Amino acid sequence: MVAGSYSPQTLMIRKLESIFPLSEEEKQALQGVPIQATTFKVDQDIVRIGDRPSQCCLLLEGYTCVYKLTSEGKRQIMAVHVPGDIPDLQSLHLKVLDASVATMSPCTLGFIQHEDLRQICERYPRLTAALWRETLVDASIFREWLLNIGRREAYTRMAHLLCEFLTRLKAVGVAQDGTFDLPLTQAELSDCTGTSTVHVNRVLQALRADGLIQTKGTRVTVPDWETLKEVGEFEPLYLHLEKDEFA
Amino acid sequence: MSLTLQPVRVNTGFEEEGVLVFDERQRLVAVLVHLADRHEVAPGQWFLEAGFGPLDSLSHPAFADLDVARNWISRHLARQAVRGAAIS
Repeated sequence: MVAGSYSPQTLMIRKLESIFPLSEEEKQALQGVPIQATTFKVDQDIVRIGDRPSQCCLLLEGYTCVYKLTSEGKRQIMAVHVPGDIPDLQSLHLKVLDASVATMSPCTLGFIQHEDLRQICERYPRLTAALWRETLVDASIFREWLLNIGRREAYTRMAHLLCEFLTRLKAVGVAQDGTFDLPLTQAELSDCTGTSTVHVNRVLQALRADGLIQTKGTRVTVPDWETLKEVGEFEPLYLHLEKDEFA
Repeated sequence: MSLTLQPVRVNTGFEEEGVLVFDERQRLVAVLVHLADRHEVAPGQWFLEAGFGPLDSLSHPAFADLDVARNWISRHLARQAVRGAAIS
């Protein structure tokens, strides 16, 4: 999944604008934020639980996840992030990370010093509000995932997850139509949905057989969005997107 | 712990060949399903479709063959027996 030819700053602006209206002056200010881009291989930790980072990472390309492990080493993925997201934005205010962030595909990440974010927030209080809203939307997504994992059937759970991915990718312009790149393994989808890999495999087969998804390599196509939404009980309200067109 | 296996057909919507697993008191403790040889995730393996009592709410592993499955189930039942004894 490539975020196109956007500069890191432009991608951050697109993401924030998808949930918060920004003025030209505020966008100009964000264009001036220094961002250090670094590439990561697949399955690498970017930050770990217990870390005390002095910078945040902006996802520029690829997928990352937020996860925690049980004492036996079983992993639960709590969130998946897409380009434009800042998966560890909370570290700006919480000193110690309470979860780890890892790549789920080869990724490019842009590192932003906390100090630079603090300065821009002091000068532009509405940007503070925009970043605050981003963390609130993150929390809303966690709540939806809790419902998804705790109470929905495996088939509905997967349909919901796919609806969320497509909607979020469209909101930042990374997916234009009903096709997107999903380079996640079935084991990772199992960690996202709290089901076994065998169940994930069955559910994907069933979704394909029912004509709700088509897959070719890592490309997923949704031929009938309305039905997938219905099957996945997907109501995009929890994403708090500014424009209804993405949902 | 000696376990008894009994063939059964299971309506999973996918593979149907399975076995019921009984403990030494002839109580049903697990249902295993034999995954297809062309299965994408665990080809030809035996999947813990359902577990009861001590095997309930565990994750659902797949085993290379029935002997591996038997050992795993025995170990978990034995561990649970020890825990139960410690509490009472």
